Amino acid sequence: MSEQVISPDLNFVKEVIASGGESLKKCFQCATCSVVCNVTPDDNPFPRKEMMLAQWGQKDKLFGNPDIWLCHQCSDCTAYCPRGAKPGEVLGAIRKLSLAHYSRPSFLAKMVGSPKFFLMLFAVPLLLYLIILSAIGHLDFSKPYLNDRGVMSYSAFLDPTYFIDPVFIAAALFALVIFAKGVSNCWKDMSGHAGKPNVNIGSALFATIKEILAHKRFKKCTVTKARSTSHLLVFYAFIGLAVTTTMALIYLYGYKIFGIQAMPFLNFGQSPYPLTDPMKIIGNISALALLAGVVLMIMNRMANSAKAGAGSYYDWLFIGVVFGIMATGILSEVLREAAVPSMAYPMYLLHLSFVFFLFAYAPFSKMAHMVYRATAMVFARATNREGGIGNEN
Amino acid sequence: MAGNNTVLIIGGGFSGLTVAVEAAEAGLDAVIVEKNPYLGGRVAQHNKYFWKLCPPNCGLEIQFKRIKNNALVKFYTLAEIEGISGEEGNFDVTIRVNPRYVNEKCTGCNKCAEACPVERPNEFNFNMDTTKAAYLPFNQAFPFRYVIDDKFCKSDCKNICMDACKYNAIDFGMKPETIKLKAGAVAMATGWNPYDAAKMDNLGFGKVKNVITNMMMERLASPNGPTAGKILRPSDKKEVKNIAFVQCAGSRDENHLAYCSYICCLASLKQATYVRELYPDSKVRIFYIDIRTPGLYENRFLWKVQEDTNVTLTKGKVAGISEDPATGDVIIEAEDIHAGKKIKAKFDMVVLASGMVPNTGEMKRAAGIPVTDDGFVNAPELKKGIYAAGTLKSPVDVARSVQDATGVVMKSIQSLRRG
Repeated sequence: MSEQVISPDLNFVKEVIASGGESLKKCFQCATCSVVCNVTPDDNPFPRKEMMLAQWGQKDKLFGNPDIWLCHQCSDCTAYCPRGAKPGEVLGAIRKLSLAHYSRPSFLAKMVGSPKFFLMLFAVPLLLYLIILSAIGHLDFSKPYLNDRGVMSYSAFLDPTYFIDPVFIAAALFALVIFAKGVSNCWKDMSGHAGKPNVNIGSALFATIKEILAHKRFKKCTVTKARSTSHLLVFYAFIGLAVTTTMALIYLYGYKIFGIQAMPFLNFGQSPYPLTDPMKIIGNISALALLAGVVLMIMNRMANSAKAGAGSYYDWLFIGVVFGIMATGILSEVLREAAVPSMAYPMYLLHLSFVFFLFAYAPFSKMAHMVYRATAMVFARATNREGGIGNEN
Repeated sequence: MAGNNTVLIIGGGFSGLTVAVEAAEAGLDAVIVEKNPYLGGRVAQHNKYFWKLCPPNCGLEIQFKRIKNNALVKFYTLAEIEGISGEEGNFDVTIRVNPRYVNEKCTGCNKCAEACPVERPNEFNFNMDTTKAAYLPFNQAFPFRYVIDDKFCKSDCKNICMDACKYNAIDFGMKPETIKLKAGAVAMATGWNPYDAAKMDNLGFGKVKNVITNMMMERLASPNGPTAGKILRPSDKKEVKNIAFVQCAGSRDENHLAYCSYICCLASLKQATYVRELYPDSKVRIFYIDIRTPGLYENRFLWKVQEDTNVTLTKGKVAGISEDPATGDVIIEAEDIHAGKKIKAKFDMVVLASGMVPNTGEMKRAAGIPVTDDGFVNAPELKKGIYAAGTLKSPVDVARSVQDATGVVMKSIQSLRRG
């Protein structure tokens, strides 16, 4: 056997422990976890080897390893672990550190990952909008702001063309640029550590998207089997809300730029739109799906906490923000319909702040799992890492 | 010295026997209370000792002979402790002796068993076979006297058994007896039970027919066991030529037994030699987390077994066991850690190296016995004059139980001198 020199990065070990992997050192490498895991490939299975690499502070071998993302945190490993080493939670902590590694600037990752900075981060969009409102003299929430048709609206309160779209396009671009850089570095590292892709990346991408849309992998989990439903609901709710947003943009700018008038079914023009509008129907169904999904997620997490672990701040922040978006969104709509400006406008501000939080900080929060996990899944397929598992889907 | 010169010994396994004979040979009165109809406990169920590979029955025979030759040792079988009160030097003990329905006239001729029409599950062989309701627990049982299980032997059976006995040794008039005595010291030696392997829902015990425990393997390999020493698997009595041992089946697992049971690695290595000697073309595979053979001779034993090229040791805990329905073979799932591969392997039979659970149940009833988080007797916290021996305090092998029991005799002597 050739000699290998291993230099443990002790700080990394401490970081894993501080990021929700406090049970890391309990692992005694029995490999129960790899055996009970239903989503690992048979060759070089996870998560036992990741537990060892983490105990030895082998940061590079973990970050450049698609396996940390192939793990869907079913928590079967955690339930059967004879030592309470909670491999599922440790891999979650490693993923969090991996995000902080690839999503720069790193100070933002640290802030998003720490409860100390939550209020500060949340205050950024809130203050921004308070400044805008004071500048345009809309700080008075006691009266309704009426649109062209004389209806109480949020678009008359904060004109989307000037105050919403630019802010959110900027936030989205900011996130997109960070994601692009992070994913490209992550791909490079994976190619360095886990071999070069030898399958057409396009077809790997196509197969991955198909798999994600069907949510097949979650169904392989045993302990957290119920999660496939809640995750599916949240996932499709987000897609529905993306469709809603796109349609809203078409309605607004179709009217503003091209002068398209409202027609049967399609209510081009300014918000608010009638509840019978297809865009509105998709939006409201998505909001309810999100409500159901998030509530189920919270309930599942509580029910499984003894077996699967309680989850870290990082997990709960993400759930909390999604819950915040959903709750403030639904309440904004209800309060506007009920014409209670004094409560509707502050609620709308909170809603905007939550959405901003999700978008702008996405590369540093658990939201990023969507991008990095998809990347790793494509990489795994492209390198034939998953063998049977990849193909049977 | 006060008047009381008696040490009460609860449990007539190897630790209890040792306390009794050593105490009696030091001049104390020793009273053994044994729940089973025979003495010898777990040791009597074993085929061979590790690492010497000699049969435990010779050791037992020596102890039995010492008991027979020493009038200071008294023993009650089929007996339980009903209560203990008092203090060091002056304990009041109540013992309940259940009826055996066979008196001292029994010659062990086996006629009652031959005639007896009813069978009962044989717990001595972990229910892998049956005995008649009139039975001898095993062929070297001490006392060498038959027993009638009245849960199974009802009206007709009773008459048939009585008619078959030429010596008037069968007496269904026997009633439970209560015996009261005084003791100056109490030695608890109730031993251990195998951990209930069915509690590990991923290891198939109770569902997969050819998955057995290590204690069942002792019985299968014993000449006086259910297969007369041929190691045949339960489902179809096929000779077991391809066998796997699953280490830490329950032990070192905070969902089951958080501690290492200490004996199971050596037991599996020993049982590997049973199969290898019986069937020269057999193959053995032992799946382990760490092979623990503490001690010089224990290590040498490991090295000796490892020299056999038909014995493979694979690092990786088994976490999934299923049955091949067509053949009854057992499929094991593990990660071969050194190869870095998840494997599925098929075996004729699989032995779970299940761990030791201290048998403290009855003790806790008798008196407030302090136990550790792991359930063992917390010896330093015990009331003065009460001692625990052997596997009640920690998982140990027979040799260490004997050493510990000898120490308990010294403590008991001190109690009697103080009291």
